[in-house]
Amino acid sequence: MNLQAADYLIIIVYFLFVIGVGFLIKKKIKSSNDFLSSNRSIPLWITSLAFISANLGAQEVIGMVASGAKYGIMTVHFYWVGAIFAMVFLGVFMMPFYYGSKARSVPEYLSLRFDEKTRGLNAISFAVMTVFSSGISLYALAKMLEIILHWDFDVSIWIAAGIVMIYTFLGGLTSAVYNEVLQFFLIVLGLSPLVVVALHDAGGWENVKAQLPANMTHAWQYMGDADTNPMGLHFMSLIFGLGFVMSFGYWCTDFLVVQRAMIARNMGDAQRTPIIAAIPKMLMPLIVVLPGVIAIALMQPALQSKGYSIPIERDGQINYTMTLPSLIAHYYPSGLLGVGITALMASFMSGMAGNVTAFNAVFTYDIYQAYFVKKKSDRHYLVFGKFVTIAGILISIITAYIAKGFNNINDFLQLVFGFVNGPLFATFLLGMFWKRTTGHGAFWGLVCGTMAAAATHGLTIAEGKGGWIAPLFEIKSGMGQAFIVAAVSWVVNFFTTIFVSLATKPKPDEQLRGLVYSLTEKPKYTSDKWYMRIVPLAVILLTITIILNLIFF
Amino acid sequence: MYNKLNNLAFVIGAFFTVVSLILIANIFLEGKYDGLSIYSASAFLIFGMVMMLRN
Repeated sequence: MNLQAADYLIIIVYFLFVIGVGFLIKKKIKSSNDFLSSNRSIPLWITSLAFISANLGAQEVIGMVASGAKYGIMTVHFYWVGAIFAMVFLGVFMMPFYYGSKARSVPEYLSLRFDEKTRGLNAISFAVMTVFSSGISLYALAKMLEIILHWDFDVSIWIAAGIVMIYTFLGGLTSAVYNEVLQFFLIVLGLSPLVVVALHDAGGWENVKAQLPANMTHAWQYMGDADTNPMGLHFMSLIFGLGFVMSFGYWCTDFLVVQRAMIARNMGDAQRTPIIAAIPKMLMPLIVVLPGVIAIALMQPALQSKGYSIPIERDGQINYTMTLPSLIAHYYPSGLLGVGITALMASFMSGMAGNVTAFNAVFTYDIYQAYFVKKKSDRHYLVFGKFVTIAGILISIITAYIAKGFNNINDFLQLVFGFVNGPLFATFLLGMFWKRTTGHGAFWGLVCGTMAAAATHGLTIAEGKGGWIAPLFEIKSGMGQAFIVAAVSWVVNFFTTIFVSLATKPKPDEQLRGLVYSLTEKPKYTSDKWYMRIVPLAVILLTITIILNLIFF
Repeated sequence: MYNKLNNLAFVIGAFFTVVSLILIANIFLEGKYDGLSIYSASAFLIFGMVMMLRN
């Protein structure tokens, strides 16, 4: 893939704009709250698009196109089963507690609802995960640019990290959020022409369906038996593992995404943020799943004359990760090629910036201020937050170089993140909806849930992974194994939290007002127009999601 | 002008307008009038202008 002057010019314009946004926001940064939590001043349309963009990093964009090519239309389950329901639940039921409690972060909510040790456990694990995720994003960006454009790995790392550092250091969270919205439009508008031209080249959707086996073009029809669908999953493990445990664990508790709703101007907007975000999320498979399905159809014998193929690895296997870059290289002429490459770079850099800004908020509020330096001036925490931003970027760079030296570290980190995230939703569900839940219950539930996740992985083996304790159970697919690990950790956390809570003393009711469902006054929005009210919006979205599942059944 | 730059919709609109102008200039300079580039540049220009003028 060779870039021309126009392509480079578009990349440079993007860099100038993101840095320019940082300089514009800098003038508004007066306090630590401005820098770390945007002082709850961001309009609804921005929080909603930032909410979805925080999850639209490169792993998502490139990974979902790859999954579309590998698993076919079943990949839509990550959206229509694994996202929309959890986003609606967050908006309707959980945002009143996150926003109403005036917590500045998810770990801070845990400290208000439970105790300091539960907050500390969540804050430390989250801070470690986000800063390493940022490093993995950086590594993946440099690796992609090295493979497809033959750019120097070191130069890519330092330029990308330098630009992210400039705009996050200048404008903090607001700057990251604004650039996420720019990135959202860049990805949607930058990749839409690719979908149109590739689908046209493949002869339209009906021809794509005709070229592929039926189990690649149906979302549910072949899920009654794990052996008959490309994912190797039974629908029950998909619904419980992905649709409940992993999906709700991510969308409802991960501070990286919840933070975007917590910076809305008021409670109504905070609740609407994930619900409005669910609208583009619902349509996102058109941009990130459909190209993968089209790509695999273009490789079938009847369409080989089109001259497209996904690159093959040395061992003869299809390199699915290269599906999106290879489609861009095949279809985009110079100029548009620059737009496509910029969209990919934007997704990597935005993912990195999102992680770094979530990291600096949690590290400053929930570790530094909570445990080390408690009563200093606001100026002190603003300066410290900026220092943490630089430190976060430098740790990301170090992580990227470690990932370059040890290929397996990415898999290892993703595995450990799964162990920590799997049980989280049980803690929040019980904490918000059962006032008897105690801090000891929450803490030991999280610890036991994480240990159960590790043990389940150690006792099961799938595609050669896991089984490091004893490979007692064999699971057909790695994805199925991930769902089972998450489900076991959730169940263990749920029951451990209940048992320990029943044996320990709960907080008095007056300390739980605004933090627990039964002790909190429900927000009323009778003055809003019907289409802006939370529940009607949620019902409409869920109905459309069910209809989409039926259409692609 | 400074107030407009503080408006994110204006900034996003300006970005896509600049990108569309680069694409259009590239079409003329290369002399390759392919439909994909022309349609994409037009769509970016319309989107950019709408975003810039919406307030």
